[in-house]
Formats: sequence, C-alpha cells, structure tokens
Amino acid sequence: MKTILVVDDEWAIAEVLEALLADEGYRVIVANNGKQGLERLREWRPDLIMLDFMMPILDGPATFAALKADPATASIPVILMSSLPEETVAQRCAGYRSFLRKPFRIAAVLAAVDGALGRDP
Amino acid sequence: MSDRRIAKLSTGIKGLDTILEGGVLRGGIYIVQGTPGAGKTILGNQLCFNHAARGGRALYVTLLAETHGRMLAHIGQLAFFDEAAIPDGVSYLSAFRILETEGLKGLTEALRREIRARQVDLLVLDGLVSAEETAGTPREFKKFIHELQIQADLADCTMVLLTSAAADQGFASAEHTMVDGLIELRIRMQERRSERELLVHKMRGGGFIRGVHSFQVSEAGITVQPRIEALLASPSQQIAADGPKLSTGIPVLDELLGGGLHRHSATLVMGSAGCGKSTVGQHFLGAAREPGLYLSFDEDPEAIRFKARNLRLPVADLYERGEVEILWQPSTEGNFDEICLRLLERVRERDVRRVFIDGVNDFVQMTGEQGRIGAALTALANEFRALGVTLLGTFELDFNGIVPGQPLSSLPILGLSPIAENIVVMRFAALGADIHRLIVVLKARDNALRPQFRRYDIGGRGIEIEADAVQADLILNELIRQTGAVPAPFASAPFAPDKPSGDGT
Repeated sequence: MKTILVVDDEWAIAEVLEALLADEGYRVIVANNGKQGLERLREWRPDLIMLDFMMPILDGPATFAALKADPATASIPVILMSSLPEETVAQRCAGYRSFLRKPFRIAAVLAAVDGALGRDP
Repeated sequence: MSDRRIAKLSTGIKGLDTILEGGVLRGGIYIVQGTPGAGKTILGNQLCFNHAARGGRALYVTLLAETHGRMLAHIGQLAFFDEAAIPDGVSYLSAFRILETEGLKGLTEALRREIRARQVDLLVLDGLVSAEETAGTPREFKKFIHELQIQADLADCTMVLLTSAAADQGFASAEHTMVDGLIELRIRMQERRSERELLVHKMRGGGFIRGVHSFQVSEAGITVQPRIEALLASPSQQIAADGPKLSTGIPVLDELLGGGLHRHSATLVMGSAGCGKSTVGQHFLGAAREPGLYLSFDEDPEAIRFKARNLRLPVADLYERGEVEILWQPSTEGNFDEICLRLLERVRERDVRRVFIDGVNDFVQMTGEQGRIGAALTALANEFRALGVTLLGTFELDFNGIVPGQPLSSLPILGLSPIAENIVVMRFAALGADIHRLIVVLKARDNALRPQFRRYDIGGRGIEIEADAVQADLILNELIRQTGAVPAPFASAPFAPDKPSGDGT
C-alpha cells in the first residue's frame, strides 16, 4: 500500500483529501503545518507528499527546502498545492513533481496523485 | 512634554478613513461585527491588500471560515486584489486545527509566532466566534482578548477581529468593552431593497463620525459613504454673502427674483409634471459660459440634449463642448449619500459654478428616511454655497390647482427655508377647456422679489414669461368668480368650494 503525506493547515481540505485518497486505496498521513510534516516524514517515509504553500510555523517553501536538503527524503515526489498561480509557487520550490491549484476538483487530484505514483488512473 | 499620541493607520477604504478621522490606531485591536453576508470578509481582505500596497505586511488568519482557495477566487474579482502581493505582502493561514488541538493558549502562541516570523504589522482574524466557543468561560475569552491586546501593542501590529452576530445582538459583551474600536456592518431592508450600513460604535484615541453610514460592495470592493449631514455639518469654507447677481437665463424671471440669483444661493423650482421645471434648469445652466452640472433622476442625457437642441437653448452648445456635464442617476436604484458625494466630487474636480438637480423628490425617496432629508439637503446646499456654487433644483408637486384652479394649494413649504432662499412655483390653472401656465416667485433671499403671478408659455425658445401680470390677473379673477372661492393662496390643503349643507334647510 502506497503512503501519502498530506501537509495542509486548512483542516477541512486535509480531511477531505484524507478520505478521498483512502477510498482510492492509499494510506494517508496528515500534518497541519510544515514542522509537523517533517516529523511525520521521518516517521512514515511516504511515497508521495502533498504540500500546501502557505502554512503556519513552517511554510511550504521552507518545508520543501528541508526535505530536499535531506538525502533520505530528497527523492520523494512532491505535489504542491496553493490558491496562488503555479508561477508564484514555482519560483520558491524548484523541483516539485506537479501542482494543484485550489480550489481543486477530485479528477485533478487523482490524476496528479496517480501520475506521481506511476499508477494508471 | 513629548507627544504621546499614537499614530493612525489608514484603512485605505474610501469613506471609512473619513469616518474614522484618518484611520485606526497603530497597534490597536478592533472588532468588526456583522450578520452573514454583510461584507466582513471583503473588508478584512481589502484592509490587508491596501496595507500591502503601502508597503506593509498583513496576515489573514481564518478559524472556521471558507477555504482560502474559495475566498481568493471570490475576492480575486475585486479591484483591490493583487495576486503579486501574496505571500510576501499578504499571507493566509488557517489556525482552526491549532485552536481545536491546543485551545486559545495555542492560538495566541501561534499568532504571536507568525506575527514575529513574518514581520506582520496588520493581522485579520476571521472567525472570532470560533475562539469564543472554544473558551470554557467568559473569563477565558476575556483573557484571550487581553493577551491579543498585549501582543498587538508589543509587536506594533494592528489587529482586526471579524465576528458574526445575529441581527439583534447587542454590543455589551466583555470583548466589546476591551477592544479599541467596534465597527458594525449590517443589512437593512428598505421595502424590497436592501441597504448596507456601517456604524462605528466605539473608537478610542480620537473622534469619529457617529451614526449610520451607507456602504456599498462593488468591483472596487467596499466604499463607504459618510452620512452627508454629518460630513458637511460645517461647510468646508466660509460662505460669502456678497457678489454679483446671476441670470437664470430667463429675463422676466430675473426681474421677478429682484434682479437674478445670488452666486451663493439655492433655488427650488416647484411645480407639477409637464409645467417646464426642467426647462428652467436648462435655461439656468446655459445662462453663462461657466462649468455646470446637470444631475438628472429622470431624463437620460440624450433626451436632455435633444430637448435643449429642440428648444434652441444656449446650453445645447455647452453640452457639446463638455462645459456642462450631465450626470444621470435613474431613480430606480441609488444611494442618497453616494450620489451627494459623487456630485460634490464632480463639482470640486471641475470647479463647477452652476448645479441643477432635476428631481429633489427622488433624493427624498432614496433616503427612505423622511426625517433626515431636511438636514441632509441643507448641509449639501450650504456646502455648495461655500464652494461658490449656484444651485437650482426642481421639486415635483401634484396637480392640485388644475381643478378648480387654486395655484398655490398643497405646497410643501414647511422645512424648505434652510435649503433654498429662493422659491419659484409653476402651476397649471384650468379655465374652461384651456390650461394656462402661471409662475410666481414666493421667496427670494433679499426680499427684493416681485410676488406676482405671470403667465408663461413653452415655445420655440424655451420658457417665455409675459412681461406683465395682466393675463395672469384675468385668469385668476375669472377662476375666483367661477368657483365662488375666496382666494387662499397659501392654503395647505387642496382647495374645495364650500358645499351646501345636506339637510335641505
């Protein structure tokens, strides 16, 4: 079973993603800020990270930089999520796998996740 | 002695800074309370983006509110929104999970940390009601507000707390007494129309304009219209009392007015529909080559220009040259204060000298509050006087006077004195099958008027008033003879001849 780490301060979005991805057969771990996300990362070693851009305590770019700086987690694919346009996000997070603009649709989420994990939709 | 005054932070919201006399106190804490849909979220976002546009850094924290994606999709349509300002100038965080897991203590700590880390000097907290629900007791909630107050002060970070409230909820809670300011947004139904209203209940550290103000939400975001009678309680400059008299553009009317209109004066032209009030206004605007403004609630600009060309009035050329501007405000919708402010803005921008308001009645209807109209129009007229603007307005009367012909019955004279120093009445008088038009000046500023009816016509050159009162005299005397009426020119009720008693005796 593939494991996905969802890091988002918006609790409702995190919970909806958790339920949606669990229905698709993934194990889902949730964190509500970047610091918590890095802790979960060390604990679970997920196959994919879904990372929000603006968060308290440790934001998306700082979390992204930290996980890319660690050889143990640098290769884990990251889907960035934000209400901002991709070009704004891309300037601060070079090397992400794909991008989801909020508010997103189920089909877009599943396509991005399946694409990142190499699973046929 | 050192100056201990706290600097103010502009809200950047048109009209709101005027009401708050410059803005809110830097490092102060404010509650914005309102019913759902009143505009709190837009106000909070607008504060943030305005602040970022001036080089500040703002943080918008939601507790239990719509998702940031949906919120930004909504406010992204508004003019103040600047995507480039996110995330450095304006950032969005959700703190609901922190509130749920760590309580008020955790939320306070998270806010303190974020303010410091992001060097934020404006914080908007959306969903204060969730924090209140989390507090076990009122005392806990008071402690939370108190800690925020200390943080705001220490970090020199202005805080705005948004909270929902029932329409009938008061403002006597502990948090209301603790904060530096309290602003209420509400929606009031006026018959089938809904009016947005803003009230400042409290504002420490300075004055503010009290009472109920209008506000609107448009593509520009929120704009607030301060209550005109409060905003213009004192004219912006000294009103000059002297100056040459100006022509109305109708020579005989000038004569009846005792030589014309004073520069710093307001005139009301009253009469029923079709008697030529608007045409008098067009004569007035075309009487001199000076910047003019026609505010119409009824006819659209093309109809106005067509009439001017058709009657060969001098103002027709001034419309073409742009020297006289037409503002059209259909009376179907509109906000009284907004129109007053727009009118004043145009007058100041173009240094307008003559203003014609066609339809003072429509103004009255727009307020929906008969009680304030006298004060509001007086304030507006005084400001025009101070600006050296000559004002002429029309006021529609009913058709009393056609039958049986008393030309001065049912005039709403009461309360008009402060608004207008000149009052002109235009009336129909029915004599047999003929309808005659009569005009009289009832009131003029220096009492140099000739209070005498004259007959007039509307012909190929506009309003043409007879040079003497012979025909008017004949018409009125014949009316009196036919009806057996005793003249009662200022009767306040429609004239009705005495009826014979019904007992047959």
